[in-house]
Amino acid sequence: MRNPKTRFVIVLGGLVFLATLFMTCQTIKENIGALTGGKVSTSDVETVEKTSKALRRSFAEITEEEEYYIGRAVSALILSQYPVYKNDALTKYVNRVGNAVVIHSDRPETYAGYHFLILDTEEVNALATPSGFIFVTKGLVKRCQDEEMLSCILAHEVGHVSAKHGLQSIKKSRLIDAFRIIGAEAAKRYTPERLSQLTDIFENTLGDIAEKLIERGYDRKYEYEADTLSVKTSARTGYNANGLLDFLGTMVDDTSTESDKGWFKTHPSAKDRIGRVQKEISAVQTMPLKNDARTKRFQNSMKALK
Amino acid sequence: MSSKTSRFKLLFIGLAVVCVALLLAETLIVKVQTTYVRKEPKFYSPPVATLSAGESVTQISSQAGWFKVRTSKGVEGWIHSQAVQTGKFAVAAMDKSLKTSATADEVALAGKGFNKQVEDEYKSRNRGMSFGEVDRMLRIKVTPDELRRFLMDGKLAEFGGAR
Repeated sequence: MRNPKTRFVIVLGGLVFLATLFMTCQTIKENIGALTGGKVSTSDVETVEKTSKALRRSFAEITEEEEYYIGRAVSALILSQYPVYKNDALTKYVNRVGNAVVIHSDRPETYAGYHFLILDTEEVNALATPSGFIFVTKGLVKRCQDEEMLSCILAHEVGHVSAKHGLQSIKKSRLIDAFRIIGAEAAKRYTPERLSQLTDIFENTLGDIAEKLIERGYDRKYEYEADTLSVKTSARTGYNANGLLDFLGTMVDDTSTESDKGWFKTHPSAKDRIGRVQKEISAVQTMPLKNDARTKRFQNSMKALK
Repeated sequence: MSSKTSRFKLLFIGLAVVCVALLLAETLIVKVQTTYVRKEPKFYSPPVATLSAGESVTQISSQAGWFKVRTSKGVEGWIHSQAVQTGKFAVAAMDKSLKTSATADEVALAGKGFNKQVEDEYKSRNRGMSFGEVDRMLRIKVTPDELRRFLMDGKLAEFGGAR
């Protein structure tokens, strides 16, 4: 047992610590103002505070807002290559299935939320850009025979967004360069020179992601991870995750004219994925059953698909 | 002497409790473009308030990925943890001018980095990019009520039956 004097000192010390903590922010702000002789505006003081933070280093430090601008631009690139399939009812349905999955995923919130669009091509493909822009082709939707299959594909794409696979495709040196420019710029708007430098990096960043998404495909480990996330998220949503196996089954030994494009080109072989997905499925304790009401609304939504 | 010391101790302990309570009432700052404060901690629960990036709310409690919060207008409800960034301390945010300095990088960097200015420059260099379609895509929304009905009709999530 400490004597009363020691206890008094401890309590006093604690209070001084709390008071110091409380005063710190205000003091920093006042000091910046004092250092500049009060000649700068409040917004400038705030900018100095912001840029005094340590430089960022990896993809994990890309902000939600920056990720959104990257996702927007990669999406604009995709949409300049593929026309949109104009079918409001089907697009709405895909967005409902997609959002049902999203809210049960590991990352339900992104800067501007998740949005799903159908691309007007017979190619079998699904693409996800950072921040939650998800595209499925008409060719892929046609291959789905029920809501479970569609939901599992969408859950696979949501998995890519949630695990930030797109952002991980950006070359590290590029990010370091971008973070250096961003960190050095104190003003709210960039000077023409800085803007030009940063836009060069932005373009190359989009190139890194687009190359993986459209041309070469992600590393195998990312595809397997997205499959794992698809099984978990689908089951959590209430879907039967065997939908993913059913879909992959349609791709085994495919000899159609589309078999050298899209998912066939950018993803590991369906056979290889099926074995791994089966293991993931067997690890799910209670798998939801398929449901007639879901299959019926899927069929209704697909009626207009040509 | 002993009664005087006791009174001092009581006073200091009381002050310490008040300070700690103030510091624990954490301020959360919205880091996504817009989000809802919802009646219950579920995405398909009815919204009671809409918040935009940079707005702050006071945390009341937390539960499995959700914060119960109070908005500046006094509305209480639930917000998902991924939509907000935890600020430093509520006491710091009581001074409105300290709103940005009371936050960590995500909010402090708002509007910086790859932003609209960079996108506009990129657009001027690449006129063929379909940003118009992206903006149309962003307008496709599923409301919480629509989502709740969709889950219910399809016997999904908590509305599910046979497993």
